[in-house]
Formats: sequence, C-alpha cells, structure tokens
Amino acid sequence: MRSRGSVRNTVLERAAPFIGFLASAVVLVAIVIVLGENPGRAFEAIYKFTFSNAAKAAQVLSVSIPYYISGLAVALAFKAGVFNMGVEGQYFVGGFTAALAGIYLKLPPLIHIPIVVLAAMLGGALWALIPALLKVRRGIHEVITTILFNNIAVALVTYFVNNPFSGIQKGVSLEPQTKKIAASAVFQKLNGLFRAVGWNVPDYVYLDYSLIVAVVMGLVIWFLLSRTRSGFEIRAVGTSIDVSRYAGIKVKKVQIGAFLASGALAGLIGLQEIFAIREFYTYSLASGLGFDGVAISLIGRNSPIGVIFSAGLFGFLRQAGYGLQLFTKVPNSVTYAIQGLMILFIVVINEVLIRVVRALRKKEAL
Amino acid sequence: MDLSFLAFFLVKGLEISAPIAYASLGAVFSERGGVVNIAMEGIMTVTSLALVWGAITFHSIWMGLLVAVVSGMLMGLLHAVVTVSFKVDHVVSGVAINVFAVGLSRFLCQSSFGQETQSAINSRMFPSWLGINSLAFWLVPIVALSWFVINRTVFGLRLRSVGENPEAADTLGVNVYLMRYTGVVISGALCGLGSCTLFADKWISGMVAGRGYMALAATIFGRWDPVGAVLASLLFGYADTVRIVFETMIPIPVQFVQMFPYVLALVVLAGVAGKSRAPAADGRNFEKGEG
Repeated sequence: MRSRGSVRNTVLERAAPFIGFLASAVVLVAIVIVLGENPGRAFEAIYKFTFSNAAKAAQVLSVSIPYYISGLAVALAFKAGVFNMGVEGQYFVGGFTAALAGIYLKLPPLIHIPIVVLAAMLGGALWALIPALLKVRRGIHEVITTILFNNIAVALVTYFVNNPFSGIQKGVSLEPQTKKIAASAVFQKLNGLFRAVGWNVPDYVYLDYSLIVAVVMGLVIWFLLSRTRSGFEIRAVGTSIDVSRYAGIKVKKVQIGAFLASGALAGLIGLQEIFAIREFYTYSLASGLGFDGVAISLIGRNSPIGVIFSAGLFGFLRQAGYGLQLFTKVPNSVTYAIQGLMILFIVVINEVLIRVVRALRKKEAL
Repeated sequence: MDLSFLAFFLVKGLEISAPIAYASLGAVFSERGGVVNIAMEGIMTVTSLALVWGAITFHSIWMGLLVAVVSGMLMGLLHAVVTVSFKVDHVVSGVAINVFAVGLSRFLCQSSFGQETQSAINSRMFPSWLGINSLAFWLVPIVALSWFVINRTVFGLRLRSVGENPEAADTLGVNVYLMRYTGVVISGALCGLGSCTLFADKWISGMVAGRGYMALAATIFGRWDPVGAVLASLLFGYADTVRIVFETMIPIPVQFVQMFPYVLALVVLAGVAGKSRAPAADGRNFEKGEG
C-alpha cells in the first residue's frame, strides 16, 4: 500500500513537464505583450489554426507523426544512457535506403510496404553502427561522432541523389531527386477510415501508413522497456553503469543494442514525407527533425508515453506558429525559441523537484 | 605550385581555422574547470548574429565584437547556471541550449531584420591583414595568454583543481562554483570572439555549421591543453581549406571532398582515444556540503 507521501512524491517527480509548459506559456504571453499584440487575439489565432475544426486537428496529428518517431528514437537511446545526436543523419540515410527499396523492388503492396519499413530501419541502424562501436570500443563520446556522421550523411545522400540514383529527366529543371517510388510502395492515406468513424479528415491532410508505423513502434518500445528483460537492462544501464556491471549486465552489448535500435527508429522518420507526401527522395527533406527529437524526448521525459504528449505539443506549436504568423504581429519563429526555453525549464525544474522529493523522503525517514 | 599560392593557402587556412580554434580554447577553459560545454555550437549561433546586429546597429564592427563577446558570456552564464547551480547533466543542458539558441537567433533575427533565416548585409568589416580578417592573427597572443593563465597563475591552478577533484579543492577553500562559472563564461566569451572570425557580412541561420562540435573534437584531440587544442583546430581548419581550395580541381565528386574534414576528425578521434585523458571531474556535478 502506498502512503500519501509516496503518492505526493510521485506526482512531484512527474510534474516538471507540466510546470515547464506553463512557465513557457507565461513567457509566450510576455513576448506577445512586448511585441504589442493582444494576448487574447494571439490565443484566438492559435486556436483557429489548431483545434477549431476537425481538419485543423487532423493536421496537428499529421505533423506530429515524424516528431513522435524522432522523439521515440532519441528516448530509447537516452534510456540506455546514450546521447544519440545522430538521429538527423540516420533519418537521412534510413529514408534513402527505404526509397531505394521502394523504387527498385517489384513486389505486391502487401510485401513491399513492410520491406521499405525494414529497409528504413536497416539504413538508420547502419548509420548508427560506427558511432556505437567507437563509443563502446574506444570511449569516444557519441555526441561528437554522431554530429560528424550527420554531416557525412548529408554529403553522401546529396551525392547519391545527384549522381547514381538521380531521377531527373533532362531538360526538366527540378531539385535533385530520385525516381518515383513504385505505386506498390506508396503509403496510402487512412483518411477514409477516420471519416468512417466520424472524424471528418479532409483529403489534403496526410494521415497515412506512417501513423500505423508510429503507433506500432510506440507500443513495441513501450513493451520492450517496461515488460522485457532487455528493457530492464537498458534502464539499468541508463541509471547506473557501475551498478549494472556489478549486477552482471553486459553494459557494452546493451548500449550498442539500444544505439542501433535508436538508429533503426530514426530511419523511419522520413517515411511520411518520402512515401506519402513527395513519393520520391530528395536530400532537401525537412531538416532538423532529428534535433527536434532530442527536445521532444527530453520534454517527454524519455518515455514512449511521455513522448506522445511532447510530440503532440510540437505538432501543436508548429501549427500555432503558422496561426500567429498569419493573424497577428507575432512571428512564427517565436515558437522555436519557446520550444528551446521549454526544455531548459523542464530539465531545471526536474532537477529541483528531484531534490525536493529527496529532502522530503529524508524527512519522512527520520 | 608557386610560392604565392602556398602563402595564400597558409593564410586562408588560418582564417578558416580561427573560429574552431577560439571555440576549442573556450572548451579548454570550461572543461579544465569540469564543465562539458556542448552548448558552444548554440553559443556561436547566437554570437554570430549578435556580431552582425551590433555592427549594424552601432555602426561599428568593434561594437559588434563587444556585443558578440558579451552575448557569448551571457549564454555561457546560462549554461553555468543550469549545470553548476541546478546540476543538470552537462550534455542535456548543452543540447537544450543548442535548441534554444537556434530558436532564439531566428526569433531575434526576424524581430530585428524582418527575416527569419538571414540578417541584413553588414558592410563594416574587421581590418584585414595579409588579405584575411586580422582577428585570426590575434589567435597567437591569445593562445599564449591562455596557456599562461591555465598553467602559471593561481586562477589556473584553482580552475584545474576544481576540474580534477572539486571535493579536495573545496576542502582547501577554493570556491568551486565560482571557478566553474568563470571557466564557462570565459568559454562563452571566446565563442563570441570565434564567431567574429566566421563571416561578418551577414548572418545566416545554420552558418556555424557544426564548428562548435568540431571545436570539442579538437579539444579532446589536443588533450585539453590550449596549445594542443589550437593545433588540432588548425588540422581541422586546414582540412577544410583543402576542401574549399581543391573542391573544383580534384576529379572525385565534390560531396566526397566535403566529407573530408569530418572523416579526418573521426579518424583522429579514433586514433587518439584512450591516450587522451579528460579532467577527472569533467562533466561531474559538485554538491557543496553533501556526504
């Protein structure tokens, strides 16, 4: 039976994201006022662009899909004490290998779709392999190696898209891109399904197979972390390497595994843009999604469930930014600054609350 | 290859190395005091905007320099508050500050110049010497000074002691927090100086392009020593110069030439690992009066 004190402590331990969110909202209001705009009007603009109708809400969900996968990828690595800053590069490479599978394989859709998903995971994991090995074998901090690998990834896919796998016909001026994805690998929209259950999602919103991928991956990672032995080992390593080693956990193996799995997830980030929206691959995919994942993971406290909320928050903020830009004097870019501020608030408040809880426990123990 | 080309290459290489070198000197100050500073990338993002903004607003590139250095110190202070006082993991804080810096700089750029991703053109330049930004040459006295401060002064000894063993330093009456704050703020100032050697004509979002991280790699390769860190930065900087100068001349695809500095940094790191030892308390938080 849990005492009232332990319930209070649990609540306190989990309150950081909410307090951080509120603090950032206060800052947003302050900025809005400083810029000479009426906060009421700003909130109205945000509401209009996010939840005022089914189409806008569906759009928030749609843009949250890659955010969720990215946050999940970073979170899994964080759980094992690995800072995977290479999600950006793994996403570019994973998307590229998936695109190759989508363009050049001739398969029925039922097989082709899972194959491209696997190809994306394979490419992402591959790109995480060398930083993972350098970390556990040579002790080089993964933050530096993965950042270097991001830069190499951009150059590499730029080369591939321009040269061996270019799909541009002569005389047509387009940005460098691959050939079109085969029809059997294109991610279809699920909008009809949502309409059937009464959610009026218009055709221009992309709620495609990548939503299923995100949901399945979320469930798998949640199950892995909270219900399996490997998940326990990952969390143990992330909590204390020394204790884990003492308990007989093979720390290096766990860290490599989590790193590669994180890379595999990162490979999936681009699926929506490549297979549903564009139907070809280009190196000018939405950049920065990998780094957003770090923020999303931290705000969601590195948990597969917490990341649902923080990814949704990022999707919401993105649409809110458009609303502000369109209807008020507040620039869209304010949302980026707010996102950064929110993480800082949350990590600081989190640390403070941990101390408060520790002090309270000490007091109770006396 | 004639002599004038060689001279051009040598001087150009110094200019290209300078931002990384200044930042890696900054990292030496921060990390010798025990604070890992991954936030340098973000700090330089902000200071490079501050430079252009200061130069345009006050009609003087030297005011730009001042604004850049002060904003660097403020960003450093932020990292110090979060890590030293609030004891957040240094890498988490650094990553958070980098995300914040991207947003902050874009927001400030849009507020001051009406565009999110690039500023107005700044026509005021630093005086040039031998055809490059003369600030690149300041590197020589500043490295010498840094070496002297870290290895031959009381402050340097105290800074190193809180990076190696903060508990012992504390027992001996050294103010651990103050030392660590100072180290991180100095690194912010040096990041500000480094961004003055980047491009002064206009600010573009993303123009720091990983130099903050390259500087960290240089610091490790340089074994946390000011001279070593700068020599490592020169290696990376000249690798980049090779890329820029020879990009169009070498018969291999340009993208592979672009990878060269990064691959070089990786190989160097892999080679030097194990031989290079970080300050013992680097990245570890210190709590006064516990235990």
